[in-house]
Amino acid sequence: MKFGEKVKALIKEAELYKSQGLLNEALDTYKKVEGVVEATENVKNKASFLRKIAAKIDALYEQIETEFQAPEPPKVSEDAQSVIKDMVSPEDPEAKGSDALASALALARFGQFDQAIEEFTQLLSRDELRLDAAKHIIWCWVQQGEAEKALGRVKQWMSGEVLSAEEMSSVRAHFEALVRQAGLENRVSTDKIQKDLEPESEIDDEEILDVDSTRFELPRGPRCSESVEIEVSFQAGKYLKMLVPKKEKQLVDSLQVGDHLNGMVFYSPVAIFSGTGYVSSKVTISAGPKKGDYSLEVKILRVQT
Amino acid sequence: MAILNLKSREIQCKIVYYGPGRSGKTTNLEFIHKHFTRQVAGKMISIDTHGDRTLFFDFLPMGLGKIKGCDIKAQLYTVPGQVQYRATRELVLKGVDGIVFVADSLKVRREKNMASLKDLHENLKKMGLDIRRVPLVFQYNKRDLDKQGFPLMPVEKMEHELNRQLKVPSFQASALTGEGVGPTLSNVMKLTLKYLQKEFKWAQETE
Repeated sequence: MKFGEKVKALIKEAELYKSQGLLNEALDTYKKVEGVVEATENVKNKASFLRKIAAKIDALYEQIETEFQAPEPPKVSEDAQSVIKDMVSPEDPEAKGSDALASALALARFGQFDQAIEEFTQLLSRDELRLDAAKHIIWCWVQQGEAEKALGRVKQWMSGEVLSAEEMSSVRAHFEALVRQAGLENRVSTDKIQKDLEPESEIDDEEILDVDSTRFELPRGPRCSESVEIEVSFQAGKYLKMLVPKKEKQLVDSLQVGDHLNGMVFYSPVAIFSGTGYVSSKVTISAGPKKGDYSLEVKILRVQT
Repeated sequence: MAILNLKSREIQCKIVYYGPGRSGKTTNLEFIHKHFTRQVAGKMISIDTHGDRTLFFDFLPMGLGKIKGCDIKAQLYTVPGQVQYRATRELVLKGVDGIVFVADSLKVRREKNMASLKDLHENLKKMGLDIRRVPLVFQYNKRDLDKQGFPLMPVEKMEHELNRQLKVPSFQASALTGEGVGPTLSNVMKLTLKYLQKEFKWAQETE
């Protein structure tokens, strides 16, 4: 095939692919045109022709980049929403056999977050679905990169009576895990979550006696309800820091940041008193002679007089 | 999964049009919506993005009349073909009863067809389904582009590359002109109902 015919045929092919929306194929074909022209000598107006082809290639690159970027899920019509709602069956493990939870989940999975949050919020009044609904609400916010809004919602639940202490602690752990997974720690760090969600204490630092050790019941896990006594290694007002050896991992796993420890007993050199503590921090020591052990912090929220 | 309501004698099944991006899945549904007006039972819903690529799915409900006293209803869906919408494809595919694999006849789309078929195979496997058992038909679309000078794959070669192991019915088509669209749909419905009959014995109960 002569040069002119070959170039014409290739350009026609490239344009046909473009008309089909096959942008990568159009791009490859235009590159072939460029190669053929560059390799041929004595082409009339060669430089200008190559510039035109280069412009076509640039435009295609731009178009491909725009199309490849996954767009934000659009808000769809009510008709489309009703089709979406049928896309998750109640048999889905996450739907827990509930039609209502399945519908809300489907909306969330298709990025219809506003509507999904509205539907999950309605489910907070149902005992058997409350915890899942709360976790999914948080998921919806984090998926949108709105970790602060998720934190606001968790704070709102902390101060209200929507969720029990047990549910609250589970939601909180879930939130922290989601923030980590989504890489949003720079926006809402675990420290910030802990600080923001920490309940106020009813007592002043000066009112607290020195505490040597404390006794409380483990709230969950294989040793649930077992009463354990731990020595206090450091105290700053109402904050008690305890070191737990690594062999006591099961004990540490039984506690989650956010747990309210009711009926806690505090042993001081001059008195024994009881009250409520709040697990404000739990970390693994990463350096030094105690490396691998755990540091547990409990904030005294109230004492019984 | 099909819904069989023996009380109201109604069977509702889900047919999914699968295939690589730009192979003509949405065009199939658009043609059906426009030309099969007697069977179309509602609005066609499309959720696409700029550049008219399917973002979530297309949906078209159909009523296909009575068989052995049962009302047959079908919901036709398409999946987004682009590689990055894998999660959406999985969601749409859940509960599928029959599949039309729309392959692009353009030579340059050969590998995309194969990759999409592999993706279908994997997604079905994840759902505990075997591609060899699910009602499936192939549609070799865009055959009309031959006349416009596009280099197309010969049908025999497409059969060899995509269908030599599965050996399911295949149809040449041009979804844009409608050629082959009806036979593809009626064949997948026939296979699906036969499969459901075998699975649920619904037709025998009406006899």
